Amino acid sequence: MLKELQEASQMSQTDVLLKGLEVLGDYVAAESGESSLGEKLRELERVALQHAEEIRKIRKKEDVIRELVKELKDVDKIIDRHNCDPSALIQILLEIQAEKRWLSKPTLMWVAERLGVPLSRVMHIATFYKAFSLEPHGRHLVQVCLGTACHVRGAQQLLNKVTMALGIKPGETDSDMKFTFKTVNCLGCCALGPVVMIDEKYYSDPSVDEIKKISEDLE
Amino acid sequence: MKKLTSREDLERLREKLKREAEQVKRWVAVCSGPGCHVHGSGEVAEAFAKEVSEQGLEKEVKVIATGCHGFCEVGPVAVIFPERYCYTRIKAEDVSEIVSETLKDGKVVERLLYTDEASGQKILRDEDIPYYKFQQRLLLGQHLHIDPRNIGDYIAAGGYSALAKALFDLGPEKVLEEVKAANLRGRGGGGFPAGIKWETTRNAPGDPKYVIVNADEGDPGAYMDRGILEGNPHSVLEGLIIGAIAIGSPQGFVYVRQEYPIAVKNMQRAIDQARELGLLGENILGSDFSFDVKIHMGAGAFVSGESSALMTAIEGRVGEPRPKYIRTAVKGVWNKPSNLNNVETWANVPLIINNGADWYTNIGTDKSKGTKIFSLVGKVRNTGLVEVPMGVSLRRIIFDIGGGIRGNKKFKAVQTGGPSGGVIPESLLEIPVDYDELDKVGSMMGSGGMIVMDEDTCMVDVARYYINFLSDESCGKCVPCREGLRQALRILENICAGRGKEGDIELLEELGSFMKDASLCALGQTAANPVLSTIKYFRGEYEAHILEKKCPAKVCKELISFFIDPEKCKACGMCVKVCPVDAISGGKGLVHIIDQEKCVKCGSCFTVCPDKFNAVIKLSGEPVPEVAPGTKIKKKAKGEKKCKK
Repeated sequence: MLKELQEASQMSQTDVLLKGLEVLGDYVAAESGESSLGEKLRELERVALQHAEEIRKIRKKEDVIRELVKELKDVDKIIDRHNCDPSALIQILLEIQAEKRWLSKPTLMWVAERLGVPLSRVMHIATFYKAFSLEPHGRHLVQVCLGTACHVRGAQQLLNKVTMALGIKPGETDSDMKFTFKTVNCLGCCALGPVVMIDEKYYSDPSVDEIKKISEDLE
Repeated sequence: MKKLTSREDLERLREKLKREAEQVKRWVAVCSGPGCHVHGSGEVAEAFAKEVSEQGLEKEVKVIATGCHGFCEVGPVAVIFPERYCYTRIKAEDVSEIVSETLKDGKVVERLLYTDEASGQKILRDEDIPYYKFQQRLLLGQHLHIDPRNIGDYIAAGGYSALAKALFDLGPEKVLEEVKAANLRGRGGGGFPAGIKWETTRNAPGDPKYVIVNADEGDPGAYMDRGILEGNPHSVLEGLIIGAIAIGSPQGFVYVRQEYPIAVKNMQRAIDQARELGLLGENILGSDFSFDVKIHMGAGAFVSGESSALMTAIEGRVGEPRPKYIRTAVKGVWNKPSNLNNVETWANVPLIINNGADWYTNIGTDKSKGTKIFSLVGKVRNTGLVEVPMGVSLRRIIFDIGGGIRGNKKFKAVQTGGPSGGVIPESLLEIPVDYDELDKVGSMMGSGGMIVMDEDTCMVDVARYYINFLSDESCGKCVPCREGLRQALRILENICAGRGKEGDIELLEELGSFMKDASLCALGQTAANPVLSTIKYFRGEYEAHILEKKCPAKVCKELISFFIDPEKCKACGMCVKVCPVDAISGGKGLVHIIDQEKCVKCGSCFTVCPDKFNAVIKLSGEPVPEVAPGTKIKKKAKGEKKCKK
């Protein structure tokens, strides 16, 4: 019979035997009115899985907190470099922006706390100046100069070309966080206008294909 | 280097550095200014260093990467001393030839010389190139001898001798007198006499007093200060220390915009080096004068360049202006007397102290002394930084130095003074450039931006551009500026979009005069200048936009249409390929036609249409002619006829 069962169920002999034992146990338990070993096992398994899920969530939270602590520690380093001086607030935010590519809410709260200035003042600065971003920036910064010299030499057309090449509009960051595309008032290399700056490099009136090539070559 | 504790120490160091420099047979100054940098001067400078060492010339030849020489148009530029041979548009591939021919043997590489467009002749020396010939480069000329990263170069070129003179020969009072006598006026825009400002701060009650460099060069289209800070930071620093001596200040600040990372780096390095040598810090050069400097970076706000706003920013608060019933010279940073001058103003100070006020007042006009650096940009042929004595005419700057307009177009106007200035038409090109003359014609000197515009520039669009800029940059604290700009922008946008009404021009004028009277700071007070001056000199263009719905310069998108001239189209397909919205139809041998409904007026077709055809044209104020689909191009018919003949 064992062989028949095994062939029909395509299970190993041991599995068939175990399954048989389980069924038998259920049968005995049903008579005595107690919960079966199988049920107990299933119950235990369910609880264990629940705990595992909880542990996973806690681990994840730990990761997040660790990340946050790391972020704030980096912020601390910058604040300490400025001797916790409230008059260095703008400089501190500039350095954080350069390092993290944005100013997160915990960062701003922490800066306010460490320097002893109201959060409202920190927010005032973070929203007043163009250099700060309250959203994460992409890995690369693309800036089209809209200075007067560039304007009269066709900055608007260059803006269109960059928009076409990157597929995002000024002020936007693409979905895989590769580029943030911004416009700036003047980059100070007016003799070459219209100019686009990609990270540290300047390009004088590149074509759509050239911009595409440059952007594809970046990581 | 060892700390210098006396004037004699400084002189000894200078002698030593000079002797070292004399060991070198030839040296090359590779321009690494903003313009040449973009053209690839970094690679060129590297190639020079590599070639010199490969050809074993390190002992006799020196390579220095300098600040801006001025002639950005033909960059990368290098000048070879002592002959002053000037090579333009150098590529890294050219370097080995320059090293083996010129640096080693003094022979000229003909093809790299500048060609004068008028005569077609090659020009050997930088000083003979028309662009430089009409200039007087007191400040920019120093750049050619100095590696901005090396304080030794500055000292060898006579640097910090003015500081020693101020400390040991003149003393605070005489320094002040000298600067007052020189009538050095603020180069940042206002033109207020620096000496009087210094005196006010010096005499104002309260300690400590502060001295500040305003390097928040916010005017779009201007990069003079960037040029100086990157090219010769020590000249600014020396000027600042001398100012501190005159005023009695122990602490200075350099407020520089973060958009200029190289300027920040070079200035910081200059400060560190000066401190290491004892030219900054406690007991400068062994005297009892102590002074130190800190850099403060601006975070990108145009209004923060205003003096009270800038000082608020240094305190770590938002850089918004405050009412100036009490001047910042009396109550500035932390309510202490604070003297703020622009980069170029400070850089002029060592010149005045070294050469004396009499020498300085010989340069320039009656009321404007010395030289002024302009950033000559826009539609002019030779773009770059230009330093001329006050009082030369605009025509000389734009046509003799700048070489006139690019692409044989017609000159229309020049804009000076940035967003606070105005446009100047051709009829006024003979006026001498100084503070008062430019004010008289409704513009201003400003910090030195000079944007040249040709017949293809729309004056209403220029006004809209500036008002849009200012409206964006207004801090919003006072109503006249915030709301005035917003309304002015709306009116201008309407005019540019063909929705202008009669009476709009008068409304703009009224708004402008109101903003001038009622705004809190200079941003609002001068904000109307671009509008008022364009109305004053180009009223006809405004009227064409409003009454005829026509943009004479064919710039305003809503008022123009792109059209392919069937007589000229050669069916090359370039425009079809580039059109982002597939608005152009036409196959092989067929005239290409733009679907006006689909066209987004991006101008791509206009740009790509080959110069020899020039088939894509802009129309404004007239209907677009109908062309039947399937019309054949004319090329063959004409060709056949010619063949038959």
